[in-house]
Amino acid sequence: MNRLLISLTLALALIAWPLYAAEPKGDNETLEIEDASGHEEETGINPKEIIFEHLGDNYGWEIPFSHTHRIPLPCIVRAKDGVWYCFMSNKVQSHEHGLKFKEYNAGDDVIFTIAGPEDPHKDKIVQVIKNPDGTVEYYRPRDISITKNVAALWISVILVAALMLWLAGWYRRKGYKAPRKGLGAIEVCVSFVYDGVIKPTLKENTPRFAPYLMTVFFFILGMNLLGLIVIFPGGANLTGNIAVTLVLAVLTFLITNIFGTKEYWKEIFWPDVPLWLKCPLPIMPLIEVFGMFTKPAALTVRLFANMMGGHMIVIVLTLLIFIFYLMSPAIGGVVTVISIIFSVFMLVIDVLVSFIQAYVFTMLSTIFISLAQVKGHEHKHESVGKAIEEALV
Amino acid sequence: MELFTPDFGLIFWMFVSFGILFLILWKLAWPAILKGIDQRADLIDKGVEYAQNAKEQLDNAHQEAEKYITEARKQQADMLREADKMKNQIIEEARGEAQKEAQKVMEQAKVSIQQQQKEAEQAFRDSVSEFALQIAQKVVKQEMADQKAQSKLVDSLLNEMESKK
Repeated sequence: MNRLLISLTLALALIAWPLYAAEPKGDNETLEIEDASGHEEETGINPKEIIFEHLGDNYGWEIPFSHTHRIPLPCIVRAKDGVWYCFMSNKVQSHEHGLKFKEYNAGDDVIFTIAGPEDPHKDKIVQVIKNPDGTVEYYRPRDISITKNVAALWISVILVAALMLWLAGWYRRKGYKAPRKGLGAIEVCVSFVYDGVIKPTLKENTPRFAPYLMTVFFFILGMNLLGLIVIFPGGANLTGNIAVTLVLAVLTFLITNIFGTKEYWKEIFWPDVPLWLKCPLPIMPLIEVFGMFTKPAALTVRLFANMMGGHMIVIVLTLLIFIFYLMSPAIGGVVTVISIIFSVFMLVIDVLVSFIQAYVFTMLSTIFISLAQVKGHEHKHESVGKAIEEALV
Repeated sequence: MELFTPDFGLIFWMFVSFGILFLILWKLAWPAILKGIDQRADLIDKGVEYAQNAKEQLDNAHQEAEKYITEARKQQADMLREADKMKNQIIEEARGEAQKEAQKVMEQAKVSIQQQQKEAEQAFRDSVSEFALQIAQKVVKQEMADQKAQSKLVDSLLNEMESKK
């Protein structure tokens, strides 16, 4: 019963928070939007702005139910003169008077602010350089700030590491006893990935690559699920950020090619095809090399697009309420009910998608790695692997 | 589109974070977890095998016990049958003996009855003859005249008595 209550409260918060966050609050809000978009006499709501703010990164972290305060996070930037500066994000961000940014003098007349909507580096930290002739120039510094996404990344790392160490500790403490409840569920996931995906595909190479693949699976799953919790420890659109998926895909790409066998490289540059396909014009090698790079690209885009899509749909469904309320409160009332039903449905689907995407990413990485582990007499296995790969792509 | 341009800072931190997570899990978590799961699976397999063996042995024991029981039952039945036979035989023998004994007793009784009868007859005859003699004495006393006729009469009387009996 307690759990039901907690999950209900969570679900309500999940639905309610975007409403609060997106709700226009009188004059302050209108001011901000005028300031941000430059349009006068707007309807008071700018869906595109709100959607991109929620999907993208931010220097601070929203506090639930508050639109004027954010949790400040450290910004780490390298100014034009090569000096690193570190300051809290509330020095350059402002939400209290409708303005999105303010200037911060970090000392030695090095001034940072957040770029306005006309700047190509919109919403990023820039250095303000005031030239002697009176013109103002904006310089985008090297920026390794602990943004909302980075903080969420660390929370995911801590969460995943803690859960796995807890499970590992169980075996150290209890030996042969089977874990129950939460730990049992984690163990089910572990054996699902290890015995269901990695072991049957990689066979004798399993111990070599399993640690990486398992880490990838649980890290993605952790990030996905944390992204679905709308309030503080979660809510970052991490796996829906192309930088995150790109890093994971590049790691898979590196592992695939660094540990690739001779046979794998031979099949790329000198495959078993009629000579005219590879000798004067290297058609097949070109295709194979191209294929090497499409694999990580597919990995990147699949995870990114799926997770971002899920987040976007929920936000759009929530925004529909406000758009329709501005048209007419009656329609708005009806749309609220429908929209909340759909939002909840989408979030439930997103939980499933979180798991499926983590699973698919791990499975495809496993297949790519196993394809690079071919040995001379294993053409049969390879063709099976390729068939699976094609079916999934 | 800012969504499709990866941010340098995030890429950097992602590499670092993933690297740290990987190292932690690689060294501390995965070996322990996988080993733990494997060991438990082995243990369960062994346990199942042991249980199967035990069950087989138990089944065998059951069968053996049943065999013994049926054997014992058979023996019991045999013994009962034999006892029955013996009993019948003994009864039969006893009956024969008893019959013989009875016959003997009967015969003895018969003999003794006959003897007694004879004795009784003799006694009767004696007493009759005594009586007759007394009668005859009386008759003789009364009529000593015609002796011949008298003895003839006596004789005829005696014969009559004898035939009457």
